[in-house]
Amino acid sequence: MTAVLGAVGDSAANREGETDYDIVWPWSRPQVPGTGIVLRVKDEARSMPWVLPPLLRAGQQVVLVDNGSTDGTAQVARDVAERSGHADRLTITEYPFRVSRCGPEHLGTPADSVHSLVWFYSWSFAHVSTTYSVKWDGDMVLTQEGEELLRELAWRLPGREAVLYVPRHSLYVESDRVAYLDLGLFNAEPFGYPMSPSYPHVKAFEWELRIHPEGVDHVKLPEGTCLELKYLDSDEFAHWTDADAFATSARTQRKRREYQLFTDLAEGRWEAHGVAAGGGIHRIEVPTGSDAHVVDHVTEVWLPRAERPLVDPALRRLTAQDRAKQRRGATASAASVSSPGAGA
Amino acid sequence: MSSPDVAPEPETGPEGVSLQAPEPTGPSARRVLFVVGSGRSGTSTMSGTLQTLGMHVPQPEVAADDTNPKGFGEPQWVVDFHDELLRRVNVQVSDARPSAWFETGKLSTAEQLRTRLHTWLEEQFEAGGDELVIKDPRLAWFLGLWRSAALRAGASCSHVTMLRPVTEVVGSKQKYYAKRFGEVNRVAAWVNMMLHTERSTRGNQRAFVRYDDMLTDWTVPVHDMGERFDLHAVRSATARDIRKVHQFIDPSLRRVRLTWDDVPVPAHLRTIADDAWQALDALADPGGDTPERHVELDQIRQAYTEAYEEAEAMSQSTAIAAQRAGAAAERSRLEGGGDRGGPAPAPEGVRLSDRVPHNVRALVPPSARRRLRQALGRPR
Repeated sequence: MTAVLGAVGDSAANREGETDYDIVWPWSRPQVPGTGIVLRVKDEARSMPWVLPPLLRAGQQVVLVDNGSTDGTAQVARDVAERSGHADRLTITEYPFRVSRCGPEHLGTPADSVHSLVWFYSWSFAHVSTTYSVKWDGDMVLTQEGEELLRELAWRLPGREAVLYVPRHSLYVESDRVAYLDLGLFNAEPFGYPMSPSYPHVKAFEWELRIHPEGVDHVKLPEGTCLELKYLDSDEFAHWTDADAFATSARTQRKRREYQLFTDLAEGRWEAHGVAAGGGIHRIEVPTGSDAHVVDHVTEVWLPRAERPLVDPALRRLTAQDRAKQRRGATASAASVSSPGAGA
Repeated sequence: MSSPDVAPEPETGPEGVSLQAPEPTGPSARRVLFVVGSGRSGTSTMSGTLQTLGMHVPQPEVAADDTNPKGFGEPQWVVDFHDELLRRVNVQVSDARPSAWFETGKLSTAEQLRTRLHTWLEEQFEAGGDELVIKDPRLAWFLGLWRSAALRAGASCSHVTMLRPVTEVVGSKQKYYAKRFGEVNRVAAWVNMMLHTERSTRGNQRAFVRYDDMLTDWTVPVHDMGERFDLHAVRSATARDIRKVHQFIDPSLRRVRLTWDDVPVPAHLRTIADDAWQALDALADPGGDTPERHVELDQIRQAYTEAYEEAEAMSQSTAIAAQRAGAAAERSRLEGGGDRGGPAPAPEGVRLSDRVPHNVRALVPPSARRRLRQALGRPR
């Protein structure tokens, strides 16, 4: 294995000499049994009321790293945590550097630069004080069922050499009343890892990866437990160099699909991707008489009642976990790398 | 007893961002009450009491026997379901390994199991009404699976953990069950079950009830549960129902009264078990289910986990010898040696090594593993 951050020593220095943003590895100090959840966010204020409360109830610690938000994300997060009664579990910190966007910009950035995704992730996870950690995005919303399962795993996983996979379904939000749920793809990616030097973040082509030793155990949340919000009135792909950046390889297949769907839905062309057309997109409108926001309607009413399996097996692609299995089978002796896609 | 979770008030944050998701649609009348705790702690008494008051125990039930003449209050389907799951992950009903919680927890994420459980729950609500009681000594291993299936059925969940001093539980088992486990292992399994059951129910609607309190005056804890969990059967119980409960509960059932003098275990384990009992017992006091108590319980759980791992490391030679003996018996069986009194053959498709817990297998040095594989003629 090539040299990776965290492999040796108690700390690491960045190439810019920004000593305040050097990394002190959490395993060099006492760790608490439990699960810490890390969110790196930029302008996710409007998602926080849906994203944060289930995480605060499920985990022992939530670390929110704000990377230059201009919409008051950190303050909203603070208020939401206060309201949820778990403010003591929330750690908010700020990372002031511009981070390279996924794709070619990332590829050209050394891992030990403060502008690298690898450094950003490693520094963010260094705030975790628990023995297990879960990466989370600022637009990922757990359903009640998902919260229940994560809350159980949050105390059963610590101490185990195991990776947690989380499936996500994109929910394209058109308005408070209407959204489009993508059940045309099953996408489960590795998000949870023990906090130890055996699970470092490393550089990959388009984004960062977190790697793990060969032969570790794994556990996967079932489908229908997590949504990824995409607002049709926002620029959801700003963290990519440009649209061409994810039109280059098989690793970015999911991004290409999301970009196409986003573009078509924003321009009102949803029926071409609808279930009737074999595309797996469900248009969901809050029923008359309900005051619920469409996100709550989907998580609390629509998804719990939806028939299983949610994703038509004919529309499934291999999960990251399946691919890892295949790869292990093909190269049993090679060091294993968690699947691409984790950082997108 | 603890207070139920309180929903936060809605408010509007800076820049008009709503801080509280809108309330879900109207509350369901469906309730599932999970009765948990170590076997022989009064779980049957609690289940039977609630059944007598009108809550539904799914049928058919496990038949009463000499060990529990008033009946177990356990649905046979639930027992069979849990047995199947425990076999899948090689965990015993009374298992002292902290790592067993991860093994059983993994099954909670299986969609097929949840669908199966959800379908069964829907059938039970149809057959027995809106308020179900689920009780089985194996239940705590799979609470996450049950709660997520109940959510899908639109039911709210609550939990009651029955508490009884470990010496009486162990003594009780010693008296009524086959003497399969040593006392040390039974005490360790009690610690493992009770501390992790507390962890699994934390943050949920729950109550802790001492078996002794139940036998002394069952009306107090049961009325409190009825109010806090909004149990219609309890709140609307008639004089006839209440009379029947008095006839059902027989204080003379508490036949075993033992102390540590009757249950000799190593001092270190006794200290952990005593600490666990003191902390759990305090949860049953009014206002006793506090964050400070949770911290204390976490520390005891960690102490137990470390003690167990030390014991595992110390007994590594025993684990290796057992694995070698098992491998030899398996080799003999494969070579047509027949049954020579060794362990039962592994089920079809299950390798002998799969029956040994992962963490125990990991203790076997690579060189010993290679020799075992060579002896069995396995490539890996």
